[in-house]
Amino acid sequence: MRTPDDFREEIRAHVDLEADRLREQGLSPEEARAAARRSFGNVTAAEERYYESRRWVWLNLLAQDLRFGLRMLKRNPGSSLVAVLTLALGIGANTAIFSLLNVVMLRHLPVRQPDQLVLFGKAEWGGSANELPDRNWQLFSYPGYRDFQRRNKVFSDVAAIDSILLTTHGRVASAENLEKVSVELVSGTFFQTLGVEAAIGRTLTDADDAHPGAHPIAVANYAWWERRLGKAPSVLGTAVTIGKTTYSIVGVTPPQFFGAIVGQSPDLWIPLSMEKEVSPAWNGLDQDLFQSLYLLARRKPGVSIEQASANVNVVFQQMARAYAGTAASPEVLESISHAHVELTPAATGLSHFRRQLTGPLVILMSIVALVLLIACANVANLLLARSASRQREIAVRMSIGAGRQRVIQQLLMESGLLGLAGAALSAPVAWGLLRLLLSMSSAPVALHVAPDLRVFVFALALTVLTVLLFGTVPALRATRLDLPASLRAGPGVTGGPARNRLARGLIAGQVALSLALLAGAGLLLHNLINLTNVNTGFDKRNVLLTGIDSAGAGYHEDVRLENMMERVEERVAALPGIQGAGFALSVFNGGGWTDSIVVPGQPALQHDVTHNIVGAHYLEAMSMPLVLGRYLTARDDRGSQKVAVINETMARTFFPGMSPVGRTFSIGKQPDWQSLQVVGVVRDAKYMGLQEKQQAAAFYPHAQHWSMVNNFVVRSNRDPKLVIPEIRRAIADVDPKLPIADFTTLEQVVGRSLANSRLVAQLSSAFGALAALLASIGIYGVMSYSITRRTNEFGVRMALGARRADVQWMVLQETLRLVLVGLAVGLMLALILNRVMASILFGLGPADPLAIGLPVALMVVVAIFSGWIPARRATLIDPTVALRYE
Amino acid sequence: MSTQKPERLELLQGTLDLLILRTLIFGPEHGQGIARAIQQTSGNELLVEHGALYPALQRLEARGWIGAEWGTSTNNRKARFYTLTKAGRKQLVEETTQWRRLAVAIGRVLGPESEES
Repeated sequence: MRTPDDFREEIRAHVDLEADRLREQGLSPEEARAAARRSFGNVTAAEERYYESRRWVWLNLLAQDLRFGLRMLKRNPGSSLVAVLTLALGIGANTAIFSLLNVVMLRHLPVRQPDQLVLFGKAEWGGSANELPDRNWQLFSYPGYRDFQRRNKVFSDVAAIDSILLTTHGRVASAENLEKVSVELVSGTFFQTLGVEAAIGRTLTDADDAHPGAHPIAVANYAWWERRLGKAPSVLGTAVTIGKTTYSIVGVTPPQFFGAIVGQSPDLWIPLSMEKEVSPAWNGLDQDLFQSLYLLARRKPGVSIEQASANVNVVFQQMARAYAGTAASPEVLESISHAHVELTPAATGLSHFRRQLTGPLVILMSIVALVLLIACANVANLLLARSASRQREIAVRMSIGAGRQRVIQQLLMESGLLGLAGAALSAPVAWGLLRLLLSMSSAPVALHVAPDLRVFVFALALTVLTVLLFGTVPALRATRLDLPASLRAGPGVTGGPARNRLARGLIAGQVALSLALLAGAGLLLHNLINLTNVNTGFDKRNVLLTGIDSAGAGYHEDVRLENMMERVEERVAALPGIQGAGFALSVFNGGGWTDSIVVPGQPALQHDVTHNIVGAHYLEAMSMPLVLGRYLTARDDRGSQKVAVINETMARTFFPGMSPVGRTFSIGKQPDWQSLQVVGVVRDAKYMGLQEKQQAAAFYPHAQHWSMVNNFVVRSNRDPKLVIPEIRRAIADVDPKLPIADFTTLEQVVGRSLANSRLVAQLSSAFGALAALLASIGIYGVMSYSITRRTNEFGVRMALGARRADVQWMVLQETLRLVLVGLAVGLMLALILNRVMASILFGLGPADPLAIGLPVALMVVVAIFSGWIPARRATLIDPTVALRYE
Repeated sequence: MSTQKPERLELLQGTLDLLILRTLIFGPEHGQGIARAIQQTSGNELLVEHGALYPALQRLEARGWIGAEWGTSTNNRKARFYTLTKAGRKQLVEETTQWRRLAVAIGRVLGPESEES
């Protein structure tokens, strides 16, 4: 690279050569030299032109701007700090919400060509469905999986995943105690379909999934290998005993792989062929209608989703017809004809909670975007005020030859510095907020939220956008000058009406957005309060909950299991201060068994019932009040008439206008579930969530069905700290090997079911408050500035006899006008926002007067207060000082 | 300076590059030499503005049409000598052809010389 010195040298040579020539023509050396110089022209100009033609001049100027910018920021440390903090909060909040959004909705699985993966259905259901398919289908049986695998023409691989993550207890290597192990049952083709290679050893193959019960092997999750085995290199061959079977670990997955289900990271992957061994209570490898699997497939290259879908649905219809059998009635065939499979792209994996979190995240994302917008408006106002007070400086610079472009560039550099500082400071803000979000939301712990390239690019793009947003207009404004006028004016006096209008517009906009956010938050809070006050139908106080893993202790669904369960219930109920204890298939918010029923003499109703298998005294333990008939009792056992207690809705739906007591109904075709006699009716309750619409429900005694149900409920009015150890001891007395999970309270479980509603309500309130705070800082800043600017005017007014109150009112009036405009616009925005939110969040009511009125009142108070301080200051002006001002 | 010799022709935009390349066809030359050569061969009709010459040299060098090296002039002065590169030679041929076509075309439009003067 050529240096400027080198160029200077060349020019000197040129002048010398020219002088030589002139001397040869007879001029004296001095004359020749002068003439040569004259003929070359302006040497310095040539050098400058050369200098500026070089590329790195930019860098030099940039460094210059940087130094100057830093100096300017340092000169106003207070306002610079406010600007940087404002930006840090705005950018940080956006980055945090986006990080979560990225993980939940956008991030691809770390597998080979994720775009080729498709999911059968949407994986919104979990558990098992055992009716014939009759609509958009999501769960499939093992024979169905094999059928698809064999008969499709569009996939290179098809894999099956158990829709339920089995949490069981097992013994690892030669450990003494049983410990919690989560197992995901998958087909042998699982890893191959995803294209995931083992980090150590091998993954599963189709051959590992050939014969039921014959493949006791497991692939360990890297995270589990690290956590449980301390990354022992001798992991291969490690034995894990679950129930009566010992599994040998054949491989470890790579570290970045957490499974195909986002937020669900199992400890072990075991072939589906071992379903009965891992889950003795819930299996059905050989049953066409034990539909409990998600299917995931990899499209062959060049096969579109539409082609794949066409092929899959042909196969699916044939399958469903075959399941219905040759003797199927026309009605059955008609309902089967509505069955179809919707293939969905699965590059981002499957997720149960994606649906729960998507709405809240989208709403939060929009809210923080608006907060950032308000922050930008604030900083823009700050810069406007600052550039107005620097108008003279800018005018001087421009009049001595600085180009407008150059000045704009320099001003933007200052904005860029603010933005950069804000972005740097936003990283800890984002991290803290993300932790908070994760701890507040229903997102599972296994969600791996690590900032990735996408998040980084997002934050960077956001920063640049922010800088342009708040920096451009002030820079353009500052450089559009009437030079002579600006130079004539004294320092500090300026700002034409245009600048003022812009600043005021920004303030009104801030007020409008803040009001909309506050009103939205009000609606969400109101909704949350409504939900908290929902009548659950059971008494959630004084109830303890735990899980007892009988499968892990090696039980099967037989009389030994039933005896154990009854004895546990008896022993615990006999403890002092216990009002009731019982097992249950599901308690609250933990999913459940939903199925249709058949009532003799009635046409088949397409109406699902929530079934629960419970201990004899479960209903008393939950305090579900009896309306009719009797509760279940210990006398309802294997030898007596099969009975059920139903709820009011079920009574009304299936036995209208009659007493249901004594009537019978059946579930499906299994012999165990025929002619169930209704013996009692209990009050309606919520079963799966507070937002559900009223479900028909029925309860059956486990003594009549020998079912492995693991939830255990105890009602006690004594101090839990004292009762829990006693309960543990009582259970251990029955069987010391039984693994008992940690205890929670029913109140906690109910509270957790509202986690996402609470998250959105609380965060939007916090962001709404932040918005209001920013807006008030904005109002304060603009009004104080305008008062400083008008000191002279106030002095004149007061000298001419205006009272202090008049001046104060005049200033306050100005603020109020702005706020009123903002509120009017904000009200409209709030109504629109509410409608949008209601369409995203299920169960959100319409805007109520309180949720709108309160924010309006709050905004008015905040605005008046932040306008009042500068207004008061205006009245403290001493006319004699003010007139001499400047 | 231009006030002293107002009758001199202004260089058309872009033609300076062509003239520099043409001058260098006779061998390496320094900036002052190039300026003088253009002036002399044009019969003193063209005056090269030095403010334009050096940026032009800079530009041509950046494009790789000419090379540069410090050397010694005939009267023993250190000077930066420019040489035509292969690419520059090609460029010269191209631009010359283009220029000739342009000149002919403009000549046709303007019509025979006698009528004008």
